Amino acid sequence: MKRSQWSATALAAGLVVSLAACSSGGEGGGQSDSLTLLFGSSGDAETAALEAAAAAWSEESGVEVEVQAASDLTQQLGQGFSGNNPPDLFYMSWDQFQTYASQQFLEPYAADLPNADDFYPALQDQFSYEDEFYCAPKDFSTLGLVINTDLWEAAGLTDADIPTDWESLRSAAQRLTTGETVGLSFGLEYARLGVFMNQAGGSMLSEDGTEVTADSPENVEAIEYVQSLAADGSLRFPADLEAGWAGEAFGQGKAAMVIEGPWINGALAADFPDVNYQVAELPAGPGGQSTFTFSNCWGIPAGSDTRDSAVEFVEFLTSDEQQLAFSEAFGVIPSTESGAQQYAEQFPENAAFVDGVEYATSPVAFAGAAAVISDFNASLEGLESADAAQLLGDLQSNLEAALEEAQG
Amino acid sequence: MSTASVRPHRKRRLSAKLRTSIVLGYLLLVALAIVYIYPFLISIASSLKTNDDATANPLNLLPETWSFAAYDRLFTEVPLPTWTMNSFIVTLFVTFGRVFFDSLAGYALSRLNFPGRSFVFAAFLAVLSVPAVVLLIPRFLVLQQLGLYDTYGGMIIPLLADAAGIFIMKQFFDSIPAGVEEAARIDGAGIFRTFWSIVLPMARPALVTLLILSFQGSWNEFAHFVVSRQSTELNTLTTGVASLVSGQLGEGNQYPLRLAAAVLMTIPVAVLFFVFQKRIMNSTEGAEKG
Amino acid sequence: MAKRSGIRSNESVAGWLFTLPAILIVGVFLAVPVLMALWVSFSDWNGLGPPVGGRAQFVGAENYADVLTEEGLAQRDFGTSIRNNLYYVLLVVPLQTALALFLAVQVNRRVLKGRGFFRTAFYFPSVTSSVAITVVFLFLFTASGAVNSILGWLGINGPNWFNDPSGVLHNLFAVFGWTSPGPLGATGPLGLTWWDWLSGPSVAMCALITLAVFTTSGTFMLLFLAALQNIGTEIDEAASIDGAGAFRKFFSVTLPMLKPTLFTVLTLGLIGTWQVFDQIYLTGGGSPGKTTLTPAFLAYQTSFEDLRWGRGAAIAFILFAIIVALTLLQRRILRDRDEKPKRRRRGIDGDPHDGATAQAVTRLNAGAGGAP
Repeated sequence: MKRSQWSATALAAGLVVSLAACSSGGEGGGQSDSLTLLFGSSGDAETAALEAAAAAWSEESGVEVEVQAASDLTQQLGQGFSGNNPPDLFYMSWDQFQTYASQQFLEPYAADLPNADDFYPALQDQFSYEDEFYCAPKDFSTLGLVINTDLWEAAGLTDADIPTDWESLRSAAQRLTTGETVGLSFGLEYARLGVFMNQAGGSMLSEDGTEVTADSPENVEAIEYVQSLAADGSLRFPADLEAGWAGEAFGQGKAAMVIEGPWINGALAADFPDVNYQVAELPAGPGGQSTFTFSNCWGIPAGSDTRDSAVEFVEFLTSDEQQLAFSEAFGVIPSTESGAQQYAEQFPENAAFVDGVEYATSPVAFAGAAAVISDFNASLEGLESADAAQLLGDLQSNLEAALEEAQG
Repeated sequence: MSTASVRPHRKRRLSAKLRTSIVLGYLLLVALAIVYIYPFLISIASSLKTNDDATANPLNLLPETWSFAAYDRLFTEVPLPTWTMNSFIVTLFVTFGRVFFDSLAGYALSRLNFPGRSFVFAAFLAVLSVPAVVLLIPRFLVLQQLGLYDTYGGMIIPLLADAAGIFIMKQFFDSIPAGVEEAARIDGAGIFRTFWSIVLPMARPALVTLLILSFQGSWNEFAHFVVSRQSTELNTLTTGVASLVSGQLGEGNQYPLRLAAAVLMTIPVAVLFFVFQKRIMNSTEGAEKG
Repeated sequence: MAKRSGIRSNESVAGWLFTLPAILIVGVFLAVPVLMALWVSFSDWNGLGPPVGGRAQFVGAENYADVLTEEGLAQRDFGTSIRNNLYYVLLVVPLQTALALFLAVQVNRRVLKGRGFFRTAFYFPSVTSSVAITVVFLFLFTASGAVNSILGWLGINGPNWFNDPSGVLHNLFAVFGWTSPGPLGATGPLGLTWWDWLSGPSVAMCALITLAVFTTSGTFMLLFLAALQNIGTEIDEAASIDGAGAFRKFFSVTLPMLKPTLFTVLTLGLIGTWQVFDQIYLTGGGSPGKTTLTPAFLAYQTSFEDLRWGRGAAIAFILFAIIVALTLLQRRILRDRDEKPKRRRRGIDGDPHDGATAQAVTRLNAGAGGAP
């Protein structure tokens, strides 16, 4: 009679143990014959291009690469690092880079790359922490004004009407606005509104990066200008147009002009191949021309077992040849100066994006700024009825607190 | 017609006013029933529409053109079969684990006199009040420390036993007369055998209740799988479909696809629900009576 | 006698053996984690390395202070999440309870034809997963979706539900021309202005409130139904025939007898509504404009995305404290009630564990499978 009790418990315990045992595998040792790559994709075009690049390199190097498109890159990275199981290689976005670097999550490998000096200096700065160049810029993008040429002509507009300043942007947007179509659309976030602030002559930080200047009168002017466009009815945001992002609204013909980067090329080619469009530089504001550069770098976890293989793969990925293949697939601009030059020759229709590099700035991104920016983005959802000075006042105090902590 | 079941001698006394109120009552109930059912019907219908049709005619129960594109995509582009398999693996382990461990513990707490019994019982009762969402971060920490993070084990083991189920089983065993086991024990059967072959079969109603609740609970579980895994290969239907909503594929309007996934993931619990409908409708009653 | 004590000691061993697997699982995945998280909530662990015995430093109550007393973004986010959740609770709990009670009374009527059908219809949403049902609601509540189409028939121009961050009370104030905070612009508790506290739930939150009422009313309907069947059918029959007195009878006879169940449902609702997570995760983590952010989601986000594990754990423990306080309140009210009417009807409210059983069933029912 005792035996049956024991056997029941043994069975129970056995079940637990065997489950634990069969599951504890998987955490690899030092082998570098396979890599995992986690990335945030802008769409099928980017996913396919990365898979193709990985396959090509695997053939060359014999190292297998598992390519994983993240459904939420920030969350998956955070969980990966905290779970002691980060991917071997990943997209590290510009807005999270400083945070990750300051928490010592990243391997500083970029300075050792043979092509380290080929990258645009601005991009090298963007991915440096405490003067150490951490990770290789993957590519970069600027924002431009994307115009639906069919709607443009239908509204009786010509090349001479292409907006060059805020006033001509306003009038073009008004003329393009019809029952079904809104003149202008862009994502309601700092990454778009910020260019208006810079065009007005404003900024988030003083030039030496020690003081927050978010609540400057220039920034207030920019917000009020955007609010007035929305009040005109010639600017509406993607969510109001039932679109996931401005590119989708543009493809569906719900918006005649959008402010997006070169990634829109790939998305339009894949989902809306019949839309005719052209890209212009962003119009200048009272303070001159301005646009944002965005970039990801190829992140490698600090102390990674597979560091060497990953670095080799990065070399391959950042070669001009491979970067131009990415450009072809989903429109990004190569992160090296030589690559970008070839790009401008090869894709004259995207010249406006490359031209923007002249006066482009990086969005504010010091460690801890991301949380403040996402708070600002959240507060923007009430933009149309909000008080511009108050919005920026909140941003100012939050940024000040974050900057103090970052420098702390 | 609505008064048909009322006994005749009362029927005479039904005033016109009352009759209207009964009819109105019915109309209200039918309207409510439509409100409760229609969303599911729309979901099924819209999953068979094209993107544009689903957006343009959200209320139509018949697609303008029948399109199986959403389902086709679910089985080609989206790894739905993997998600389904994972859901079944997790659900089966959790369901049978819970039924077994909960009834073992419930039996001991109800019928076996052992030192510390009341303490153990009190501890389980206390545990019952720890809210599940509070455990998300703690669970993750422990799974990570035990090396169970991002494994089937980490997804399954923490759910294998639960205080609520133990409680239900204990309550049920309390209601079985003690004489049953006495006889068996006099025959020389061991405690486990008495439990396994005499008492447990008598507990079938409670076991079925626990089975249903565990299946439903683990099939529908979401938060635990968010924090216990990250690999896409370990996605269950809940986390997988969630990635359709919020992630890369979530960009843009793809309602037929998402609704098709929602419809498919509901089928197993719906089947379970209709098979055990009687029992489910009575289970809470039984529990409430104690 | 000898045999008797043999059984005793066998029982001791068996008792522990039988409960051991459950104790191990619950202990390792519940008690230990809670203790570990308690430590993390007093540390500066950033996710790198082990949380215990690694580089993580003890920082005292700093994480708690960040969200409770220290002015700043962290405190305001926490305040916002509490405000949102408070409105959610204030609306969901009464609505789901009233609706569940109404449905239970209706489907309990003897004279009702097709009772089985109605019960099934009302209960079915409760068995579906939160993920599936949220997907369905996201579709129903798009700007040109089903709900707005129906509102359109009534001549109402429906809002863009899940994208509308405006608070319904603010909107209501605006009807009366009160659009600026005025004296309410002063900062109130947790870094929010009094004006912000009075925003009401956002339009987006209202859609989530509808979702919650839709999915939980069926479960609670079953609890009420069970109690109604215990009370017996005479009252119900009488009430349904004697038209004029039906309302009066319901409020003076039926409702008092349902009081124990009513208490159970109210407190279960109160506890459950403080735990909204799945729906928030699926509708964009607090968007639009953080108006659907809840403490449960904020804790998750702070830890897993911002990598401030200590602060995330601290928020989770504050939430825990809120829920424990509500549970204790429930226990006290139940005990007070039990003592006064001296066990009137043993069947329904005599057993002090009734509440716990109902809680057990409802928790499992509600799909909270993660709760051990």
